Amino acid sequence: MGRKLLLEKAHVEGIRYFDVYRKEGGYRSVEKALKTMSPDQVTEEVKKSGLRGRGGAGFPAGMKWSFLAKPEGVPRHLVCNADESEPGTFKDRYLMEFLPHLLIEGLIVSSYALGSNDTYIYIRGEYAWIVDILEQAITEAENNGFLGKNILGSGFDCMVHVQRGAGAYICGEETALLESLEGKRGNPRIKPPFPAVKGLWDRPTVVNNVETIAAVVPIINDGGEEYAKIGVGKSTGTKLISACGNINKPGVYEIDMTNSVEEFIFSDEFCGGIPNGKKLKACIPGGSSVPILPANLLLKTAKGETRMMNYESLSDGGFATGSMMGSGGFIVFDEDQCVVRNTLTLARFYRHESCGQCSPCREGTGWMEKILHGLEYGKGKMSDIDLLWDIQRKIEGNTICPLGDAAAWPVAAAIRHFRDEFEWHVNNPEEAQRRNYGLAHYADPIHVPA
Amino acid sequence: MIHFSEATKKEAERLIARYPEGKQKSALIPLLHLAQDEFGGWLSPDAMDYVAGLLKLEPIEVYEVATFYSMFNLKPVGHYVFEVCQTGPCMLRGSDAIIDYIKSTLQIGVGETTRDGMFTLKTVECLGACGYAPMMQLGNHYREHLTKEKVDAIIQECRTNAAKNN
Ligand SMILES: Cc1cc2nc3c(=O)[nH]c(=O)nc-3n(C[C@H](O)[C@H](O)[C@H](O)COP(=O)(O)O)c2cc1C
Ligand code: SF4
Ligand code: FES
Repeated sequence: MGRKLLLEKAHVEGIRYFDVYRKEGGYRSVEKALKTMSPDQVTEEVKKSGLRGRGGAGFPAGMKWSFLAKPEGVPRHLVCNADESEPGTFKDRYLMEFLPHLLIEGLIVSSYALGSNDTYIYIRGEYAWIVDILEQAITEAENNGFLGKNILGSGFDCMVHVQRGAGAYICGEETALLESLEGKRGNPRIKPPFPAVKGLWDRPTVVNNVETIAAVVPIINDGGEEYAKIGVGKSTGTKLISACGNINKPGVYEIDMTNSVEEFIFSDEFCGGIPNGKKLKACIPGGSSVPILPANLLLKTAKGETRMMNYESLSDGGFATGSMMGSGGFIVFDEDQCVVRNTLTLARFYRHESCGQCSPCREGTGWMEKILHGLEYGKGKMSDIDLLWDIQRKIEGNTICPLGDAAAWPVAAAIRHFRDEFEWHVNNPEEAQRRNYGLAHYADPIHVPA
Repeated sequence: MIHFSEATKKEAERLIARYPEGKQKSALIPLLHLAQDEFGGWLSPDAMDYVAGLLKLEPIEVYEVATFYSMFNLKPVGHYVFEVCQTGPCMLRGSDAIIDYIKSTLQIGVGETTRDGMFTLKTVECLGACGYAPMMQLGNHYREHLTKEKVDAIIQECRTNAAKNN
């Protein structure tokens, strides 16, 4: 049984409300930080913890904080990224819905470290009911003296505001998020300048994911060094994984990054195996943007080592034979699923979500969707597969923001590992058209011992 | 001229006050949500002009934002909007069948509204509920683990509510 730092109290009755949360030891980190530590000491603990950003890129949080510019007389801001739109990812929602005070507590401590007196949570617009939950938690925290002016007599003022988006995946990208927060279209900015220098309203800004901020609470309570003892290597602490697709127990799991992928999928403590006795075919382990892996490469690396649920092991082999931890959106495919159809839905997603600023992304995503549509519905040619490969290669690295890469990688990985399925669609156009709902009767699933 | 009710006006003021002096434009998206809720589920040019006036913006600044975000409806929609997720993880759990079932039950295509103005069907991309798939958004809430029976029950529930409110 792995150690739980974030979700330990998730099932305590009434934990959503201040009184219960406080009784369970909540807001201790605020008392500790504001009464006994300087802002720089808080940052130092976060650095020591080795905490890596949980939004997808895995950038060390403490280092990001120490880059924040601090010009005299200019307000600074912390912005919490709760846009959560990467397909397969629903962990931040779980945290906010069941443990809203954990996020608010983390935000107060982090705002103190960064000197943010007005902190914003940017939440995807569809999570409308969670806005109410968060606002209720903020009001409770304020009524109990943990938000507002002169918190706990420390002289530190802080207010947290919740801003709703309105349906745009691109607003999860930090500079698009800031544009949206300023009341504009979510067009990513050209970097540099980075938000740490010029962010919200041109002021120095740190953008962090919900889970990153929540992890600051145990880091301050127990100390950065204690936190760093959990996990392995540079994968310190615990990580939330939202597991979905063809598994018996979809849901949000907190792991200490010491489990193998096989254990995560098949053990009853986590996903509980594949329904209806089906075999495991493939998995996208870190949200739709990261490479899909066939079962053999998922469970063992190309070197034949057991693949583990942590940053290093999941990316072992690079994109040729590995994938990424990403946002922790873990999508499992059983033997009946069609990789071409799945790739088509993802290509459509990225076409829909491209902001349209750069031509390789705007035109390339639409073109890839069109070709994949043709292949899926029995109108594809063999040369289309190479064309797809060519297009994705020309998008990658040639755009303003990483959405272009995020659109290219799933297509590349699908062709790399499942080229035979694409060819089958070309060779069997009638069956490909007759087929419903991606039932891949033709695919010879990779056999995996139970 | 359309305008907000007193209560909504108060809420708009609260939202605007969260931003520093001179940065009121930041309240635009929250205010468009209020307007869409208050003015029948979509943003008419009048509604957008009204919001522009509240924030002292040029109307074009509002149009360019409203057209960017998929939650804003720029034409009228039915009383109940079924927004069914169709992205990969939901597809793996049968969202295609749910979309087909709604189409045949309500006799409408995606993007269309039933003739009685009651239901609109939209397909949307991942709503962050992939573990509870297939799913849809209805108003401010999610309906998850959808089955054909559940869809039938939701349609019935909407009809009953509509009848009650008349
Ligand atoms: C297209 C795109 C979408 C993104 N969506 C999200 C998101 O929904 N939530 C998130 O926290 N980070 C998202 N990110 C990453 C953010 O840009 C940023 O790196 C992150 O919020 C930083 O927080 P962290 O360091 O705590 O992970 C996205 C990035 C890209 C390029
Ligand atoms: S890569 Fe795509 S989403 Fe990113 S800025 Fe360019 S067009 Fe917009
Ligand atoms: S794919 Fe449907 S909610 Fe994520």
